[in-house]
Amino acid sequence: MTLFTIVVRGLIRRPVRTGLTLVGISIGIAAVIALVGMAWGYEKSMVRHLDVMGIDVVVSNMSGGIMPKVYDASLEEKIGKLPRVKESTSVLMQMLSVEDAPMMMVSGREWAGFTWSQLKVVEGRMPKDGSENALVLGRLAAEVLKKKVGDTVQIDAMEIPVVGIVDGNAVVENGAIILSLSVMQEATGNQGKVNFIDLQLVPDTTKAQTDELCKQIKEIFPEGRAMVASEVVGTSQGFRIARAMSWSTSLLAIIVGVLGVMNTMLMTVFERTHEIGILLAVGWKRRRIVYMVLWESALLGFLGGVAGVTLGAIGLKILETTPAIRGLLEPDLGPQLIFISVGIAVVVGVVSGLYPAWRSSRLSPSLAMNG
Amino acid sequence: MNTAFPHFRQLILQMAFFGTLVFAPQIRAQEATPNAKDLAAKLSANLQDGSALIRLKLETTPVAGGPKTTLQLQVKSRRTKAATDIIYQVLWPKERKGEAFLLHKSGDNSPTGSVFTLPDSLQPLSASQMKEGIFGSDLTYADLLENFFSWEHQALVGEEIIDRVPCQILESKPGGDDRSIYTKVRSWVDTKRMIPLKVEKYLASGQLGRQVTTTRVAKDDTDRPVPASVMVQRPGQTSVTELEGSNSKHDVTFTDSDFTAEALRKLIPATSAAK
Repeated sequence: MTLFTIVVRGLIRRPVRTGLTLVGISIGIAAVIALVGMAWGYEKSMVRHLDVMGIDVVVSNMSGGIMPKVYDASLEEKIGKLPRVKESTSVLMQMLSVEDAPMMMVSGREWAGFTWSQLKVVEGRMPKDGSENALVLGRLAAEVLKKKVGDTVQIDAMEIPVVGIVDGNAVVENGAIILSLSVMQEATGNQGKVNFIDLQLVPDTTKAQTDELCKQIKEIFPEGRAMVASEVVGTSQGFRIARAMSWSTSLLAIIVGVLGVMNTMLMTVFERTHEIGILLAVGWKRRRIVYMVLWESALLGFLGGVAGVTLGAIGLKILETTPAIRGLLEPDLGPQLIFISVGIAVVVGVVSGLYPAWRSSRLSPSLAMNG
Repeated sequence: MNTAFPHFRQLILQMAFFGTLVFAPQIRAQEATPNAKDLAAKLSANLQDGSALIRLKLETTPVAGGPKTTLQLQVKSRRTKAATDIIYQVLWPKERKGEAFLLHKSGDNSPTGSVFTLPDSLQPLSASQMKEGIFGSDLTYADLLENFFSWEHQALVGEEIIDRVPCQILESKPGGDDRSIYTKVRSWVDTKRMIPLKVEKYLASGQLGRQVTTTRVAKDDTDRPVPASVMVQRPGQTSVTELEGSNSKHDVTFTDSDFTAEALRKLIPATSAAK
């Protein structure tokens, strides 16, 4: 009989207790998967959104409400002339409550700007020009609003016909209502105003050159801020809070998991003192007894981790379809998160088994055999 | 004794340390809390925020289940110490687009108002209609106009934590010149952000008439925290109303003609209203 067989038998012998402990660990790991998956998905969705649109630098005035404050659209002309800027485009983006749908992203983009070129028409067509009273819906936005080509969407007091459904290749794009900047300005009463200027830089621009450009933009637009697209997510307080909250909640779930496994393993050791005594009497080294208990708890953690990942993945799929999240972010369940979660579960198992293993190694063979 | 004392001292120090951590914010909050009159005056001043254009979603849900009514609204308001003018206009759904009402109150005069219903009916609001719900909701016309923070009698009657936020309970009672159907209004005020997180309005019978709960706080376009979503409930009634703000624009230029009954006949989009 190998050590592994003894370890497996130790777990199978008490199926209810093993099962309940597995449920405890798997719920903890499922919480890690769901919470961290959402937080990472949130970040990745935004990064992908900027990446897909080919944006290198974002200029905005982030003080105030949920969305950046509006400012004069004429700033784009000055910023667009700065060295290293290949192309610039203005955007007026707002989170609006549209018809009976929850808040959604409404993005008014300067006509013919580079942010239009990444959109693929799935159905219908693109607006003919920047002045046409028309909009296109991202695939998810069309589903949320239950709209098709030919319907109208009301943005504030303006009814705007839907001329196309588009695939933006990123969940943020697919969940948005997209229209030309001038139509958006008219609908929301923000004539001549924008709240983002997106920049594409010339290829091979170095970090030092980008930093220099950001400084020059700050001089032109003191109340605003130019940020490298890849850093937008990392420096956002909202993202940082989401990340901290997901990990702190996960930590609590992990602590509960540790206590659960530790309790199970201690019970196992107490119940098997007689068996451990026999093993010591037939020549097993104390170290081997420690390994046996640790392997048992590690296996428990591993199985709980696998079950937890499955449970968490199902949870994420359900969360993804809820109206509040649909179209805004795509939960991230990549190999990295799966590996980390199962790793955490195994570490939880091993850590939880340390004390019971130490207790088992301290048993005296004669006393243990006497019961 | 020699060994016990350092432990005892350590324990005292630890207690003092944790005591400082736990109670210091409360002590600071108490020190910073203004008296009832000052608190009410500040809240009243916050309400009188000049001219603004606001986008709201109003949802009325039957308590017993069933379809909810959703309206997208455009609100134009002009609030000063001397007078208040408010226009609510329905933007969506299409079949109700254009329904509107106007409210006006100046000084100690009784509030006045007009209602525009489709296709083309413009009616003045009577005093009794002021107690009715706007667009069939749980929020009355009078609720929109009433500034109970400016009433004569204000008192701090306690403290309570609402959603982990310590609040002062401000009790407002109308004086001789104040007109209201309510005899007492209690507001749970977050004194740090200067916003009420809960308001309870009591009728002359002593019964709770309405409860308004803030469900989301956000910063508006002037960088000021405001109750962005609120829920209005009437105990024993059949529906719950939720108002969700999505956009606001302050310092909008309105003219007097924007607040006339005739102005209700046409839905002026934000475009032309924000001059």
